[in-house]
Amino acid sequence: MSYLCLENVVKTFNKTEVVKKMNLEIKQGELVSFLGPSGCGKTTTLNMIAGFLEVDGGKIVVDGKPVHLLPPNKREMGMVFQNYALFPHMTVFENVAYGLKLRKVSKDEIKSRVAEALEMVRLTGYEKRYPRELSGGQQQRVSLARALVIKPKVLLLDEPLSNLDAKLRQEMREEIVDIQKRVGITTIFVTHDQEEALAISDRIAVMYEGRIEQLDTPVEIYNHPQTDFVSRFIGEVNQVQGKVVKTLNNQESLVSFYGYEQILTRHLAKNSVIDFYIRPEKIHISLEPNDGIVVKVDRKMFLGAKTRYILHNKENKHIIADIPNTVLNPDHVQEGKDVSIQWNSEDLLATKK
Amino acid sequence: MRKALPKFGLNFFCLLVYIFLAAPIVVVLFSSLTTTEYIVFPPKGLTLRWYTELVNHPEFMQSFMLSIGVAFGTAIISTVIGTMSSIAVVRYQFRGKTAIMQLVGSPLLIPTVVFGVALLQFYSWIGLATSPAALVIGHIILTIPFVMRLVVASLVGFDRSIEQAAMNLGAGSMRVFFQITLPIIKSGVIAGAIFAFITSFDDLTVALFIVSTDVVTLPVRIFTYMQYQYDPIITSVSSIVILLTVVLMVVIERVLGVGKVFESKNE
Ligand SMILES: Nc1ncnc2c1ncn2[C@@H]1O[C@H](COP(=O)(O)OP(=O)(O)OP(=O)(O)O)[C@@H](O)[C@H]1O
Ligand SMILES: [Mg+2]
Repeated sequence: MSYLCLENVVKTFNKTEVVKKMNLEIKQGELVSFLGPSGCGKTTTLNMIAGFLEVDGGKIVVDGKPVHLLPPNKREMGMVFQNYALFPHMTVFENVAYGLKLRKVSKDEIKSRVAEALEMVRLTGYEKRYPRELSGGQQQRVSLARALVIKPKVLLLDEPLSNLDAKLRQEMREEIVDIQKRVGITTIFVTHDQEEALAISDRIAVMYEGRIEQLDTPVEIYNHPQTDFVSRFIGEVNQVQGKVVKTLNNQESLVSFYGYEQILTRHLAKNSVIDFYIRPEKIHISLEPNDGIVVKVDRKMFLGAKTRYILHNKENKHIIADIPNTVLNPDHVQEGKDVSIQWNSEDLLATKK
Repeated sequence: MRKALPKFGLNFFCLLVYIFLAAPIVVVLFSSLTTTEYIVFPPKGLTLRWYTELVNHPEFMQSFMLSIGVAFGTAIISTVIGTMSSIAVVRYQFRGKTAIMQLVGSPLLIPTVVFGVALLQFYSWIGLATSPAALVIGHIILTIPFVMRLVVASLVGFDRSIEQAAMNLGAGSMRVFFQITLPIIKSGVIAGAIFAFITSFDDLTVALFIVSTDVVTLPVRIFTYMQYQYDPIITSVSSIVILLTVVLMVVIERVLGVGKVFESKNE
């Protein structure tokens, strides 16, 4: 039974559909990320859930009750904004207490609940500060405390970490997941940083041009992208072309990749030419010549734990391979020399439109 | 050391400007203390006689109270209207928006005399008799552009997600306006109100067209009095106005901080 449901939700701006018949079901306590390129409708969708934008069609249901006709102040959603959106004229305490005051909570209870919320985000002692006296990370934590203190039904975060520097970002995202799991709150986390989405989500909704292309766990999204867009958007891929040499039986075909023949467990029409994707880290390099596709090493880039090899074959097809330095010592590979590459057939990602 | 000279030059220049600005005020203050029957600077002797003399001129007091009342009314109404219009103009797209902006800006371009004549014509056309209310209406038209300029400046760059955050926490639109929006643009609104108050209190040109024998504001009173007499009563009245202004500024400074008030940006 899902807790938050979007049913055929549509949003139109100036006659263009920005969100197209979107369907989404989120279970209670789940953390779902919206991941997608700029302008794909993440913020728009979130704003419709929060009530800042009206839906132009469809329904939004929370805990069995439709909410899409309610004004934002009646929806009991907690929102954390990209730019924190703290009240500049109120102290940290007043910011966090604001939602409780509106709910006519008694003074004593406000005090204890604010204290509890600030402790959760590790800001005890900052009650009397004004937002301008806090760092970005601290402001974002206040904003999180302010959203959570009212015990909302759903927590909505719109790129909450994108104004922070890389290191703090990583710390904060762990902190957010930690709190989210402890409170057990149903959460939507908007981001366009895929590493962030992969790291923290229970499930990721990959969005493209107002649709959800795929909604799946991070592992599934990464290893089994269902659409062409998801394959290209998540992680990096090389595009390779295979020509079907012959169909072996109903489930197997022999495919030639630039002369390197491999049996794929799928039925493909003879002589057809098919595009596949292969991730750089799924490519194996062999120093033996003729042990797969023969390629020339254009360049190697040392990236710490791994090395990236930029290669091309005799048809001038460029291929990138990332190999851990523990697997292949980069000193053994010379730029300008020939090596061979291969891959396991199950690591090939099909391109489906 | 090389930097010291230009800095000294700048400071010296600033000092000259300040002296130039402050000189008339100082002249008025000192002249009001003269023992002579006519206005002279530097004053001859020192006396507070021209202040006690005011007791014999209750009409100055009446005019003063009228001016204060008109200025208050103007400031309040024009701040309310100006603030609401600013929000409409900054936040909403509607037909005729540019026209409104131009119209609002026009009193800043039209000479006040022309405006006074126009107002007089208009009032006699619609048959509105001279009254403090008629004056207040005139001053509202005169001061709304000031208010709007200042409030619009504080609204530009206002982060609307702050209001969304309040709504999200359960605040209705009224609460959002009074508890969130207004406190944040407060400096612009207060600056606008002060400008409106001072402009109205200070106005001679428009008031001259609208006054009657029983509606005479202080600037008009001083102006007409000076046409017949030129005794130091004028300077003592002016000095009182100056001192009141100073007190007003000090109070505002204490309560809000003038520096903050006149920064049109919110921090
Ligand atoms: N108020 C609006 N009026 C018209 N078009 C809008 C409005 N708000 C958003 N759009 C358009 O809708 C599309 C989706 O915008 P949205 O803000 O949801 O994107 P996003 O996925 O959040 O992107 P980003 O990652 O850049 O934040 C964009 O093409 C945008 O130009
Ligand atoms: Mg966005």
